[in-house]
Amino acid sequence: MKILCVVKFVPDVDNFNYDFEKNTLLREGIRQILNPDDACAVAFALKLKDMYPQTSVEVITMAPLSIMPNVEDLARLGVDRCIVLSDKGFSGSDTYATSYVLAKYLSNQIFDCIFSGTHAIDGDTSHVPAQIAQRLDLVQLSNIRWVEQSTFDKTSCTVVIEDELFTRTYEVDFPAVLSFTRESGYKLPYVKRENMYMDFSSSIHVLTLEDLSIHPSEVGQEGSLTKVVNTYTKKFTAKDKKIVSTDEEGVEAVFEFLRDKGLIT
Amino acid sequence: MKKCMIFLEHEYLMAGVDLLEVVRQYYSQANLNDSIEGVETYGVLFNHKADMLQGYFDNIIRISQNSFKAYDLKSVTATLEKVCKQYDFDMILIPSTWQGRMLAPRLAIALSTGLTADVTEIRHEKGITQLVRPAYSGRLLAGIVNTSKGPIMMTVRQNVFHYQGERSKETFYHDFQAYDPVGNSIREISLQPKEVSFDIRDSSILISGGGGIQKGFDELSQLADMLGGHVAASRRIVDAGIANREIQVGQSGKTVSPKLYMAFGINGAIQHVEGLKNVKYIISVNKNEQAPINSLSDLVVAGDASIFLKKLIERIRDYKEKSS
Repeated sequence: MKILCVVKFVPDVDNFNYDFEKNTLLREGIRQILNPDDACAVAFALKLKDMYPQTSVEVITMAPLSIMPNVEDLARLGVDRCIVLSDKGFSGSDTYATSYVLAKYLSNQIFDCIFSGTHAIDGDTSHVPAQIAQRLDLVQLSNIRWVEQSTFDKTSCTVVIEDELFTRTYEVDFPAVLSFTRESGYKLPYVKRENMYMDFSSSIHVLTLEDLSIHPSEVGQEGSLTKVVNTYTKKFTAKDKKIVSTDEEGVEAVFEFLRDKGLIT
Repeated sequence: MKKCMIFLEHEYLMAGVDLLEVVRQYYSQANLNDSIEGVETYGVLFNHKADMLQGYFDNIIRISQNSFKAYDLKSVTATLEKVCKQYDFDMILIPSTWQGRMLAPRLAIALSTGLTADVTEIRHEKGITQLVRPAYSGRLLAGIVNTSKGPIMMTVRQNVFHYQGERSKETFYHDFQAYDPVGNSIREISLQPKEVSFDIRDSSILISGGGGIQKGFDELSQLADMLGGHVAASRRIVDAGIANREIQVGQSGKTVSPKLYMAFGINGAIQHVEGLKNVKYIISVNKNEQAPINSLSDLVVAGDASIFLKKLIERIRDYKEKSS
């Protein structure tokens, strides 16, 4: 069985700092991490490999080469093959162009199932997995919280999904794109001691525009169909506020406020 | 005449109607009193009589399909692609629901058009109309334009836009007969409605807790009950498994507009504040006087949230006992 995991490395946004005085976001020196939803996808793939040793797991990512140390970490965890789609020409690609590049690679591969995350914490559009599925003419399900591992074979599996209103259980035939959510709680394993210092460079492959036979005009800003024309930081208009403490006076101030506004009846 | 299509899901019909407000803001150049002129609206839905939508839209396209499966977005896309090509819409709007978020990206590929996700604002600036959406988990807002020749296409965050226009349109109904979907790759085994006791988006008083009140979180419900409100939570509390995702406020949770929002031990990082729209009064209780949420508050209590909560509950109980 062959599982392809399409993943993205993202800035660790939880550690962004925000300068509320100047209304600016401080983005410098932020480390890159594997997007949390995508990490669950890889974790589940590795779990399958543990259960069925004949399973092979391949990770595909589109990223600048500075990401290589993170990719090596995945190889060290047991991912059989890592494909890094990297080219200066890719930068500035929107989701339309990004899904084009990924689909171009994937359309030449033989696989049973594609795993991905649902949301990425940086862009958070959720477009790429669905767009890959559309380009490859596959079905896709997102927000996967649970896969019934015993049902997972070469032809299909059963997944549990939660949205706002329902808990949904579906049986999906392969090939398909299954998009996990971090609420699934699938955790990446620890690195085995013997893999700690091993050289995994032979299992990592970098592919460029040329390798994928993509014309430069099909990717980057030129190949994109949306454009970011401006970015804003949210403006906060400070209210005329009152500051109190937790003493009796403070309790009274809050109490009076609530009563004044008719909120205590 | 601009033709605008809104995709309607059975469970979210009114969320679809609210997207008429996006259409109005996009084409009315920010004058709040303008009605939508020069625009023709189309509501599109599968297998539904749509009586309750009468008057909201200029047109309703009712697609009938025998074995329609809302969760098979590959098939839904194939059908909608035909509808879109027949009607040649200028704008396509889809609510950001579970299905909408799987559908829109596929349809954008099928129609070779650019897509903007989770729009929260329409901005007119220097003659350019931008679709504004949060990025980096809500820490930054990006203004986006479609550069393709295809329709302007977006998913829209729920509960951000509210349509308050008239319901007096003469709605024309169009029937669209769709072929059955090809293949049967996804089969529904079960569908269980979630036990959601209350939707915090409908609440006018929200008592919300964050990391600073992790231990005393359960006590928030006492205050909520006293004030006739409901409990909400920040992402930290939800991620810690203390509260359900359903009551999470913020970028990755819900957008709420209560009359009163009391934030206990919530720092108020921008992705949390992103979930507060048109809140009338905010009271925040926080050890850190510099906590970002305090800059939005009418009243700031500087100190331990659990201690203050107990004292406030005591004070209100006292008052209620005396006045009853």
